[in-house]
Amino acid sequence: MARVLISGGRVIDPASGVDTVQDIAIEDDRIVEIGVKLAKSPADRIIDATGKLVVPGLIDPHVHLREPGAEHKETIESGTLAAAVGGFTTVCCMPNTTPALDTPEMVTFVDGRSRSTAHCRVYTVAAGTKGRRGEEPSEISLLARAGAVGISDDGDAIASAGVMARVLTMTKQVGLAFMQHCQDPTLTVGASMHAGEVSVRLGLGGWPRVAEELIIERDVRLNTSIGCRYHVQHLSSSGSVEIVRRARAAGQPVTAEASPHHLLLTHEAVGGADGFAYDTNAKMNPPLREASDIAAIKAGIADGTITVLATDHAPHSVEEKARPFEEAPFGIVGLETALPLYVESLVKTGVIDWPRLIAMMTVEPAKLCGLHRIGLGTLAMGGTADVTVIDPEQEWTIRLEDLAGKSRNTPFLGRRVGARVVLTMVGGQIRHERR
Amino acid sequence: MPRPTRDLLALRGMGTAELKELLARSRAMIPAAMGRTDLSHILKGRAVGLLFFEDSTRTRLSFTMAAQRLGATTLDLASGGSSVSKGETLIDTALNVEAIGAAALVVRAKQSGAAHQIAQPAKIPVLNGGDGKHEHPTQALLDALTIAESLGRSAAFDLTGLSIAIVGDVISSRVARSNIAALSALGAQVIVVGPPTLAPKSMSTLGCKVEHDLDNVLPTVDAVMMLRVQFERHGGEGSSGASGGASHAAAPAKPPITPSSIVSVRAYREGYALTSARAAMLKPHAVVLHPGPINRGIEMDQDVADGPRSAVLRQVTHGVAVRMASLCWCLGIPA
Repeated sequence: MARVLISGGRVIDPASGVDTVQDIAIEDDRIVEIGVKLAKSPADRIIDATGKLVVPGLIDPHVHLREPGAEHKETIESGTLAAAVGGFTTVCCMPNTTPALDTPEMVTFVDGRSRSTAHCRVYTVAAGTKGRRGEEPSEISLLARAGAVGISDDGDAIASAGVMARVLTMTKQVGLAFMQHCQDPTLTVGASMHAGEVSVRLGLGGWPRVAEELIIERDVRLNTSIGCRYHVQHLSSSGSVEIVRRARAAGQPVTAEASPHHLLLTHEAVGGADGFAYDTNAKMNPPLREASDIAAIKAGIADGTITVLATDHAPHSVEEKARPFEEAPFGIVGLETALPLYVESLVKTGVIDWPRLIAMMTVEPAKLCGLHRIGLGTLAMGGTADVTVIDPEQEWTIRLEDLAGKSRNTPFLGRRVGARVVLTMVGGQIRHERR
Repeated sequence: MPRPTRDLLALRGMGTAELKELLARSRAMIPAAMGRTDLSHILKGRAVGLLFFEDSTRTRLSFTMAAQRLGATTLDLASGGSSVSKGETLIDTALNVEAIGAAALVVRAKQSGAAHQIAQPAKIPVLNGGDGKHEHPTQALLDALTIAESLGRSAAFDLTGLSIAIVGDVISSRVARSNIAALSALGAQVIVVGPPTLAPKSMSTLGCKVEHDLDNVLPTVDAVMMLRVQFERHGGEGSSGASGGASHAAAPAKPPITPSSIVSVRAYREGYALTSARAAMLKPHAVVLHPGPINRGIEMDQDVADGPRSAVLRQVTHGVAVRMASLCWCLGIPA
């Protein structure tokens, strides 16, 4: 039996309302004691967390691990290493792999690969339709039984209202949340960036806000009589915030998530410093939008409309991102950098405080994916020892060598940030430590 | 000391003085472009790489002639028979042509930003011969030269007080984007005209007016530039980068959904073709331009294309002069 003491840190556990300087004792994979000035011995290891934050292991409900099918971009092993470096102890992987995660056998495959190779916990968000084609519902009841923690066709919306109604009904029955990638495909043909001044100037197909808003509006209406838990992924538009706010005020079971890049960058990033950069690391789905959208998303986070902070970690190879802008794939990596970027955009600007930030990265995504029922997302006596230690004042510059996954597609290299994950413990085992 | 070399990638952002210098140098090249004077010593022994990853007749032949008039040879790549069809990237192809010995590269590609992308690693000047829906700088320079010459403004290239309409599928048009930038910088008022699907109000952020009623606009302008209806950009397969929903992973390709911006030829003609009747509404001195290739009987009638107002073939001749001047300008050859 190994005993580890994390001593003197500011313990923030939003699920239980704790925010005070305490010690945490861990034996094997469990938290055995939480209290002020716990006995220093016996302990195999004492971690001095003075001046640090000690929080539940972060949970990311939206990552792309690319296994199976695109292992040159990322694998379950490499993606979860990136997660551990970023302070995440649990990630939920999206089903847009090749083949898609649309059968119980595929859920079991991810589970098996995770047990043998992963650096943190991995759960599957399984596809809502067969092959993610949006035509025919998948075996949602069997996916849930196999361990899926959410249902989504992420990468695509379910565009047909008829199919969507059936998928919502089936997802409601198994108690999971449906996570929608909100993009009306008929409004985004040939689109590669936000429809606005920059797309007009650069001659790139524009992606209007309404392509996102229309799907949310439709789904909220569809879901009125169904009542499935409905989650808006990576919300990008100011109008979407308003639709979600109204739905929640009407008592509907609707949640929404933000991503770091939609809080820090605008469509101007595509043009870069000289205006003509065509920077593929600023190519996202949904696209980077305008300052007014950032303000609206922040307001939605401040008033509780948006409750979950994710990454949408989307690795792509250097070669793929070197293609001409319109042919390059969408997305950026995010696991290693999400926490400091959220601190910069939300905490240092006073939008929310540290406890709320931690809640939005722990207990809130845990509830979304039903992981709170197995004790994740909180620091509880006798509970699972998933713990992240954060230096809330450490200034550092994001460099290539700070990325632990296989891919390096991020527009944030060279950015100065002011907080850093210094230790990640998954089930009592230290998976990442910065000494 | 030779002057430093430079790229010609976009006219947006270029200073008015530079634009006027390029136009003046182009004007001075017209006799040589027409074979009346011999400038074949200027680029003797040098080679110009013509990287036309997208089909082109006019621009490719025009650059070829420009290089030859200056005494240069051309390294001519046709995408069909090149390694691009074997999967080589545009950048690799460009750097190989540079390594073979080209002194400058002319790039035509269907992707917006392609010339910028090649210019970053290339050590030799890159001239944008048209990139997707972004810009086509030498086309706009030859248009400006033709307009200035036709309207008696070619002494100083000051277009102040002139009103110029660009008509048709402006949102998909690299010609329109370069022209809006150049003509506005030279002092003209540019009015883009088309149905709201092809000439959206958002284009006013480029510094032009946006109008939808051609009959109202025609009597007010000094020049009208008819754009080609680009059926290949509205026909699904041709719409570039139809990403649809295939977002993060290499999802299987989906059939593109055609944006039916151009419903039918007759519906388009009814509102936006330059018919003989419409041409009669123009001011007496007004000039008609078209970047080519013309869809005769669609965006412009035969009688207008071949009529007295038409500057279409002068545009083409000016194109050779503009490309000669542009090659010299990019290669640091003094005027």
